[in-house]
Amino acid sequence: MKLDVELTPREQVPRWMGYGTPVFTILAALAVSAVALLALGVSPLAAYRLMFVQTLTTSFGMTETIAKAVPLIFVGLAVYLPLKAQLWNIGAEGQLFLGAIAGSWIGVNVSLPGYALLPLMFLAGGVAGAVWIAVPAWLRAKLGINEIITTLLFVFIAAEIKNYLVRGPMQAPGANFPQTAQLPVAARLPELPVIGFPAGIVLAIAFVAVIHVVLNYTRLGFEITFIGANDEAAEHAGMSKLKIYTVVLLSGGAIAGIAGVSEIAGVQGRLRAQFAPGYGFTAIPIALLGRNGAVQVMLAACFFAVLFVGGSSIQTLLSVPAAIVDIIQALVILFLITAEFFKQYRIDLSLGERPDPGATGSVEGDL
Amino acid sequence: MTEDAYVRMEDITKTFPGVVANDEVSLSIRKGEIHGLLGENGAGKSTLMKILYGLYTADEGRILLDGEPLEMASPQDAIDAGIGMVHQHFKLIPRLSVSKNIVLGMREPSARFRGDSDGLLSALTSARAVSGLARRFTLGLDEPETEIQSLADDYGFDIDVTSKVWELGVGERQRVEILKALYRDVDLLILDEPTAVLTPGEADRLFETLRELATEGLSIIIITHKLDEVNAVTDRVTILRDGEGVGTVETADVDADALARMMVGRDVLFDVDKEPVATGETVLEASGLRATDDRGIDALAGVDLTIREGEIVGLAGVSGNGQKELAEALVGVRETTAGRITLGGEDLTHASPRTFIDSGVSFVPEDRHVEGCADDLSVMHNAVMKGYGDEAFSDGPWLDYEATAEYAERLVDEFDVRGITDVEEITAGELSGGNLQKLILAREMVREPDLLVANQPTRGVDVGAIEFIRERLVEQREQGTGVLLLSEDLDEIFDLSDRILVIYEGEIVYEATPAETSRRRVGLEMNGGDAGPASRQVAVDGGHGESR
Repeated sequence: MKLDVELTPREQVPRWMGYGTPVFTILAALAVSAVALLALGVSPLAAYRLMFVQTLTTSFGMTETIAKAVPLIFVGLAVYLPLKAQLWNIGAEGQLFLGAIAGSWIGVNVSLPGYALLPLMFLAGGVAGAVWIAVPAWLRAKLGINEIITTLLFVFIAAEIKNYLVRGPMQAPGANFPQTAQLPVAARLPELPVIGFPAGIVLAIAFVAVIHVVLNYTRLGFEITFIGANDEAAEHAGMSKLKIYTVVLLSGGAIAGIAGVSEIAGVQGRLRAQFAPGYGFTAIPIALLGRNGAVQVMLAACFFAVLFVGGSSIQTLLSVPAAIVDIIQALVILFLITAEFFKQYRIDLSLGERPDPGATGSVEGDL
Repeated sequence: MTEDAYVRMEDITKTFPGVVANDEVSLSIRKGEIHGLLGENGAGKSTLMKILYGLYTADEGRILLDGEPLEMASPQDAIDAGIGMVHQHFKLIPRLSVSKNIVLGMREPSARFRGDSDGLLSALTSARAVSGLARRFTLGLDEPETEIQSLADDYGFDIDVTSKVWELGVGERQRVEILKALYRDVDLLILDEPTAVLTPGEADRLFETLRELATEGLSIIIITHKLDEVNAVTDRVTILRDGEGVGTVETADVDADALARMMVGRDVLFDVDKEPVATGETVLEASGLRATDDRGIDALAGVDLTIREGEIVGLAGVSGNGQKELAEALVGVRETTAGRITLGGEDLTHASPRTFIDSGVSFVPEDRHVEGCADDLSVMHNAVMKGYGDEAFSDGPWLDYEATAEYAERLVDEFDVRGITDVEEITAGELSGGNLQKLILAREMVREPDLLVANQPTRGVDVGAIEFIRERLVEQREQGTGVLLLSEDLDEIFDLSDRILVIYEGEIVYEATPAETSRRRVGLEMNGGDAGPASRQVAVDGGHGESR
């Protein structure tokens, strides 16, 4: 007697599943992570209360969360935008490094008042991020070379360039640490008046709004959506894959570069060798969770920001390793993929003779 | 009639949310008969067959095989019971060879363990325990190529089984699918619109094959909405309409008109009234056109072609002779390697697809789902797929989605596209074949093109929609559009065309008006003018071909 698992293609995907997926995914990831917490002898309820309630109800927690959310929103968008055209920007981390390098170089070496210096830094960071993705973008658009591999490999090159620069040309004069000089005050992002949130959040929200508008109200957005849905039909319709691929990838790179600047100018204050936040990789589950729209990307980024901040508070208060955050993050990805599967197949379990394994047909055609 | 039934489906009911796809439908198939299942798109034919093939489970009713109730939870159960199905949408792996595709899913153990060689090693490998393990853990993809090739040749399928599936045209892929089922030794073979992609000659050869198989005791169900097919090959036919069984009749007892009435529920016009139209100036002129196919092999060997205002030029040919490439070259989506294309006197050689579109060229591609629309996007998106940049919808970089939705609704109304509640909600993939084709046609025609290239515009759509599409094509011609009609349906070519061209091996080999030629002649030219393989085909449809 064997346990028999049977998969049946769904005849119709229930509508609630589409909307419920992100929520289900997050809850399932938290539920499974509870096992890890229990294994550590920590009550999951207490841990989750600390992680979420505490983080969201104290002003310190909120400020920290927003500070984390800013770069995550940017990199989330940097992955989300190309994803709309069915391209995977896996290398947002590398573009973020380049943005951070360009931003800190301007910040340290150019002296201008803040209102001119900061925009210049962001501009330089954006350009640097775009330049960094330009080669993979060109290879993809022109020659059809898989962007997943090229963008990822460029991360390692970017990391080494950064390591070289902070130990060489950009190293703070007279210091031994592998880092640049401290950014002057003019090059630091201020806090918002009254609420005290980092000012980067305003820029991040502005980008969310711009991308939302571009995708939903412009011809460019129509082309991006169409190429993402069926690139062959899009080419028949006279759309240029070359143009759209270039636009979304370069924009994605630029936004990731801006994330790097906002992190340096808003949080770090200088570029260090060990600066490797991993945001560019967290961006992937963020973009997947929020793939239904730019606003959803922002919400997903905020969720991950809460996870990070809450994760460090349970680390300090409950002595739970912050790795729990990595576990939750990994589970979110796993459950997202699983949810996709459950959307398409119904699963029946039964005990009995196993039928010969073999090809099962899929459902296509009219009724 | 029930006693001798090999397979019986009794009172099958299947509902989907909001739709009753099958409402107490019964069907009985005798051993060795060819049974037609006739109905319009959406009548419930495919649903019924998917139930019989174990893809769906019926809500009510039962299936009897040889008098025994048959419980099927998956297609595997159906295959085990000796039921095979050739789907309309191909289930092939493009990267693998034809023969690999055929053995795939058979779970043959690797050749080493099949025990068909002599010697000590074979004694070991054919030992029971070993072969049991082998069956489970090895997969024999070292396919018996010669065996499959001879099977293909026996059935008159002109296929090289060593070639990769992606290199094959749609018609050839269909033949691989049929071969796959035949190779599996089934007792009941379900064919879902098998001739949709075949030329008349190929279809006749297939019918012959099917008749032979039926004499050998194989039961065959053919899902179709083509009346002449029912007459040509079936013994009995069951008609479905709106999910209900209208009845089962002996094919010999009914004529096409009666069948059409049963199927559509009203009288259907088969002949399109065509007013003579004075042809005007030259719209398109192509000279010495050469292009390669997707594999980089020459597909067009210097095509010269002229299309004038107000004429329909029909291009006939056996699938894979360059018609797809020609159509694509003429609308700018396939790069030409030599030759010139001028449109209304303007040189468009090597111009972008956009330039062609803006110069008034419309295109109805062969494969609706691949090139004609984006399945996952809304009807509205697909309706303005080409026109989204028009002034009516855009203001600077902005796109006016209210205007595009209104426009989509207009297309849906004018072309009677059914199954749409909200143009922004329903996706193109949710439409039936005929309705999607109407939508694509609407998109291509409403913009009043100078040139319309339509590749297989009525393939896989139901009788009602065919009638509608043909009328629209003729109407378009009356408005002065030059139309190039590529079709594998010779009746369609003869009914609609003002001039007929035949393409063979990448060249236009024959040109005539319908009045001065015959189906026999065109059929011969399609096969390169030699009477060998074409003679049988002509023998079958030659008679009524001459008379029309």
